Amino acid sequence: MKTHEQSLSPRIPILVFGALIFLTMATVLLAGLDVGNTGALLIAMAVASVKAVLVLYFFMHLNHEPLIFKLFLGVAFFTLLAIFVLTFSDYSFRVIS
Amino acid sequence: MSDIAHPIEHHRDDEGTRLGFWLFLYTELFLFAAFFLVYAVYRSSHLEDFKLAAESLNTTIGTVNTIILLTSSLTMVLSLDALKKGAVKLAKTLLLVTFALGMAFLVIKGFEWSAKFEHHLFLQTAKGIAAGHGSPLLSPGEEMLSVGQVLFFGLYFIMTGTHALHIIIGAIWMLIVFFWISKGSISQDNHGVLERCGLYWHLVDVIWIFLFPLYYLVA
Repeated sequence: MKTHEQSLSPRIPILVFGALIFLTMATVLLAGLDVGNTGALLIAMAVASVKAVLVLYFFMHLNHEPLIFKLFLGVAFFTLLAIFVLTFSDYSFRVIS
Repeated sequence: MSDIAHPIEHHRDDEGTRLGFWLFLYTELFLFAAFFLVYAVYRSSHLEDFKLAAESLNTTIGTVNTIILLTSSLTMVLSLDALKKGAVKLAKTLLLVTFALGMAFLVIKGFEWSAKFEHHLFLQTAKGIAAGHGSPLLSPGEEMLSVGQVLFFGLYFIMTGTHALHIIIGAIWMLIVFFWISKGSISQDNHGVLERCGLYWHLVDVIWIFLFPLYYLVA
């Protein structure tokens, strides 16, 4: 059984690449939908996040890294999230003249 | 002092080096996160201006550049895999293809930027930021930019500019790695430098994955 042995076959990278191109086309087409500003932003960011995860996981080989790498990513992600949430908890309630 | 002669051992901790490099990548991420945060705040307060300003960006060019960058990430992955398999020549070729794709991205970006320069958007943005609003253009008949549009283009130039700078750094790094592979100091058993160069390149790709919809699509 191969656990840490990394497959060097180009099959998975090419499949992931195909998915990335598909998602790029999808996000361009979905941008044409009339779903309002927030809807369009949410869809675009959701697709971008899926693409980013694919790149991180497969191209940057996070799938073969030990748990500590994923923990680091989690810490970075939650720090970013906190910064955005805290900023908007301020700006959303400001009255900008 | 011990009088026993120890052979000098070069200890190599590949995993530790990679983890350290990931930490560096997170500092890069936070650099861009600051820009994204400013974008998010100003987009929410100047939504109509952002939408109006974004109309002058060409979605097709943005899409083509996205595909170029995604393709370059694929060739980078394949280059590293080839080196790991000992296919040095293939690894070098794929690395050069990655480099060429990076250059193609920059050339397209350059054309896009120069079109913005011709329409005085850069000048107006620079002046507008100084004056706090859109300033009159040099040629009469064209409209002034509003505060929100000035902010949009200011962010556009800063964010895509910083991103392009990273593309340039990545491309130079690739040339150095190419040279080292030719020399034999990067090889099948010692591919860490190419691996880190690849991680850097993929991060630049990830940042573009978010820049693209925010500037070219959500408008």
